Amino acid sequence: MATATAGAAQAAPAPKARGGQRLRFFLAVLRARPAFAVGYAIVSMTVLIGIIAPWIVPYGPLVADPNVYLLPPYAAHILGTDGTGMDIFSRVLFAPRVDLTIAVLGTLLSACIGSSIGAIVGYYEGQRTWRTAIATFVMRSTDVLQAFPVFVFAIALVAVFGQSVRSIILAIAFVNAPIYLRLMRSQVLSIRRMRYVEAAYVAGASDISILVRHIVPNAMAPVLSQLSVNIGWSVLLTAGLSFVGAGVVAPTPEWGSMIAMGFQNVVTGQWWPSVFPGIALGLTVFGFALVGASIEVLADPGRRRILSGSLS
Amino acid sequence: MRILRYIGRRILFVIPQLFGIILVSFFLVKLIPGDPAVMMLGPTASAKSLMELRDRMGFTKPLLTQLMHYLHDVVRGDLGTSWQTTQPVTEDLFQRFPATLELISFGLLLAILIGFPLGVAAARLKRGPIRKFADYYGLLAGAMPDFWLALVLIYVFYTTLNWIPAPLGRIDMAVLPPEIITGSMVIDSLIAGDMDALWSSFGHLVLPVLTLGLINAGPILKMTQSTVERTLDSDFVRYADMCGLPRRVVLRQAVRAALPSIITIVSVLYGFLIGGAVLVEIVFSWGGAGQYAVQGVLNADLNPVLGFVVFSAVLSLIIYLLVDLLYFALDPRTRA
Repeated sequence: MATATAGAAQAAPAPKARGGQRLRFFLAVLRARPAFAVGYAIVSMTVLIGIIAPWIVPYGPLVADPNVYLLPPYAAHILGTDGTGMDIFSRVLFAPRVDLTIAVLGTLLSACIGSSIGAIVGYYEGQRTWRTAIATFVMRSTDVLQAFPVFVFAIALVAVFGQSVRSIILAIAFVNAPIYLRLMRSQVLSIRRMRYVEAAYVAGASDISILVRHIVPNAMAPVLSQLSVNIGWSVLLTAGLSFVGAGVVAPTPEWGSMIAMGFQNVVTGQWWPSVFPGIALGLTVFGFALVGASIEVLADPGRRRILSGSLS
Repeated sequence: MRILRYIGRRILFVIPQLFGIILVSFFLVKLIPGDPAVMMLGPTASAKSLMELRDRMGFTKPLLTQLMHYLHDVVRGDLGTSWQTTQPVTEDLFQRFPATLELISFGLLLAILIGFPLGVAAARLKRGPIRKFADYYGLLAGAMPDFWLALVLIYVFYTTLNWIPAPLGRIDMAVLPPEIITGSMVIDSLIAGDMDALWSSFGHLVLPVLTLGLINAGPILKMTQSTVERTLDSDFVRYADMCGLPRRVVLRQAVRAALPSIITIVSVLYGFLIGGAVLVEIVFSWGGAGQYAVQGVLNADLNPVLGFVVFSAVLSLIIYLLVDLLYFALDPRTRA
């Protein structure tokens, strides 16, 4: 899917036959690099589980049965129960709803904001004096933002916006935006000097249409790859925020807050309330990292050619 | 001389940046809802005493005046007082930063010891089990939440095996901490020759350092692998190969050429961990600076947060400067 977008960005709109060819190529790549297939499998499984969770879980994610608190995994509760008697399996399956929503929305928001500012800055930088001055100001401001200790910054942002899912999304978007800004700017800076951009300029295209139709589509590849990796990071950040009590409010099924709830139990020997959510969390991040790595290979025309050469 | 001029120019660039950081964090922290006066006096305080306290702390003045006061104080090295510890923030931070630095310095040292040799080995071998292991290690280390790994390690080595002391603080309550010289408990006990303190502080240090080391070895490994791979592919290595130099000598040259970028990633990690090790600090009740700042945010205690941001900004600055000096020593091109 991601390959299709990245590919379509480079070529003219593909007729149906080429779409089929591309799909075949994509499948061949997955066969050649099974790790990528694992990544796609993990990510789609996590998303699927998040969607169908209400129909497959044995217990409600917030139902606490005080008679069965802190039981190790057994037949009725296959991942055990936590200190309040909630079923860990059900909660682990429910968690992607919160975690992925926050991570995906936060990352998309930061990518949109960051890369559009980055594209504009990259396009106008070094053209006329006052625009260059603005570009320099923007870049120095990102320097300042990136000099902040990320975690403390994120907690402070959540504290400012008030503790809610929306504030966590905003905080993640804010913390990550400078990455996309830099990435897009450096891409645009190099693409700006390409012949076809000059051709478009000579043909009388406006700045906006040059930027939107000719530059940005060709600069998207690294952004897409970064996007997937970044979703993984954001899941980690969300969990970390919840762990210190600045993220999702306690009984909500979320991996980080589940790990935090089981913290004291681990020390006294009941490992299951913390360990299982951690495994689910790690697997998800791992999957997104693999997908990011695959996009990086597939979206790079040079590496794709090497790969297709070795496939045929 | 060149180096001095370079440092001077760097500092000149850094001052506006530092000012920007203070500016942003000041307004950010002021936006945090929650009234410190209420927090300090408790919910039963009368409106009059609340007003008096706010007045005394300068909260009634316009924000710009408050900012001016704060900047004026910062320049003189006064970061205000924390109402939680009732101590000057500068003092608190000077107590806590050594703890954080001990943790992340040893953690990164371990990460280098794991990541660097593994990265070089993986770069040399195009396939095989080591290469596969390195590939997956990099991805897995980046995917694991550090606070979770810390808990798993506590479960294994404290709860089950009981090899290490309880994960509370830097040294046993019953053991007298050594005299502070370097700020690192382990090194200080070594200097003092105090075996009890050394054993206890070392036991407390092992797991958090292991956590940070295992996780941060990932990025170091990746960076080492990709740069050494690139230098092994470069013309000068091919030339050295053609000259018939032994493989080991060629490899050493390639690794040396890759060192600057490895140092860069280490310094970036160091800067990140000053605030980023906070979750591990919390799990082990380490009493570090990051933990102090997070407590500050959660309790509307503003001065510690600001102080922490200023401190860590200055500290990362010093680290980046040191790294630049290392470049001078390592890369002959920068000396030309």
